[in-house]
Amino acid sequence: MDDSLKQLEAQLENLVPRAQSEQGRANCHQLLDELSGNHTGSATESTIGLSWRAAAAAAAVALSLGLGGGWFLSQDEQGPSLSGLDDSELTIAGDFYQLELESWMISGSAPGVYVAKNGQVREILQETEVTKEVVKHRESGTVITVETTDHHLIDSVKSEF
Amino acid sequence: MANTQQALGDKWKLWLDESAPRLLAYARARCNNAQEAEDLLQDSLIKLWAYQEEREHRPPDLPLAFSVMRYLGLDHGRRKGRQEKRNQKIIQFQHGEDHWLDPAMEETEEAEILRTEVESLPDKLREVLTLKIWGGLTFAEIGELLTISHNTAASRYRYALQQLQKKLKHLKTPHHG
Repeated sequence: MDDSLKQLEAQLENLVPRAQSEQGRANCHQLLDELSGNHTGSATESTIGLSWRAAAAAAAVALSLGLGGGWFLSQDEQGPSLSGLDDSELTIAGDFYQLELESWMISGSAPGVYVAKNGQVREILQETEVTKEVVKHRESGTVITVETTDHHLIDSVKSEF
Repeated sequence: MANTQQALGDKWKLWLDESAPRLLAYARARCNNAQEAEDLLQDSLIKLWAYQEEREHRPPDLPLAFSVMRYLGLDHGRRKGRQEKRNQKIIQFQHGEDHWLDPAMEETEEAEILRTEVESLPDKLREVLTLKIWGGLTFAEIGELLTISHNTAASRYRYALQQLQKKLKHLKTPHHG
């Protein structure tokens, strides 16, 4: 490598990567506290970082564990119903950690082409996203796999004819 | 027991405080904005914690951390809709204030140009450059991480430098007319 490139390299080394934001740092520290079981704050303030899917899986397990004690479960005339589940998701998510997360897209039907009001030629198609998430309950070691499917409608300007 | 947990948490926090700028620089090379990069870092922490369970939850070494971030970053990218990706390609790094290399208070014009040009390098080149300069990895480690040979890693690095040099020269040359 010639001298000019070495000089450039030195210049680059002087450019400092931006530090973590205060909020980001606080979130990471809180996350580490929770991972290490050293959580001291309010559970409802948790920003564990697990996705809603993991939280939902966690909620499902917590529900089954809590059936005996009537946790989350209230009775009405129509039978059992869930109450307060949304408020509890983050609390429960702290008891789990994510083992795997993968997702893939399944292309949908052939795109439909249309002309928008402004004269643009646009195409619209549907893509299906499948997400598989595996989470593990810290204490029991129970492993849960959650698979979800999301449909996305993609509407974009048609650039190739 | 509680003390051990606290000590473990503190060890990771220390590791994070030392490594966060490097990890974030890499995350920014893969993401479109600061928020996404911070989210990627948090997701990676969870994954790394699980990985390190077999190693008494010791804080990971940097190549492993980069590797996890890369995997999660790719996965995150796959999850994005095609349209969103197209749009982001266009707006990527065009937010004036959203730079991932910190603009120093007394930054020279050349440094400012360089910072902007690094951010607009092609993905593959920027990734290797970031891992080498700010990640502190060797070409062998970069090769292992990106599943390319260390020679390819070195070539991409050199090519990135050459591209930057060319752009700097071009921008510094006075244009007439």
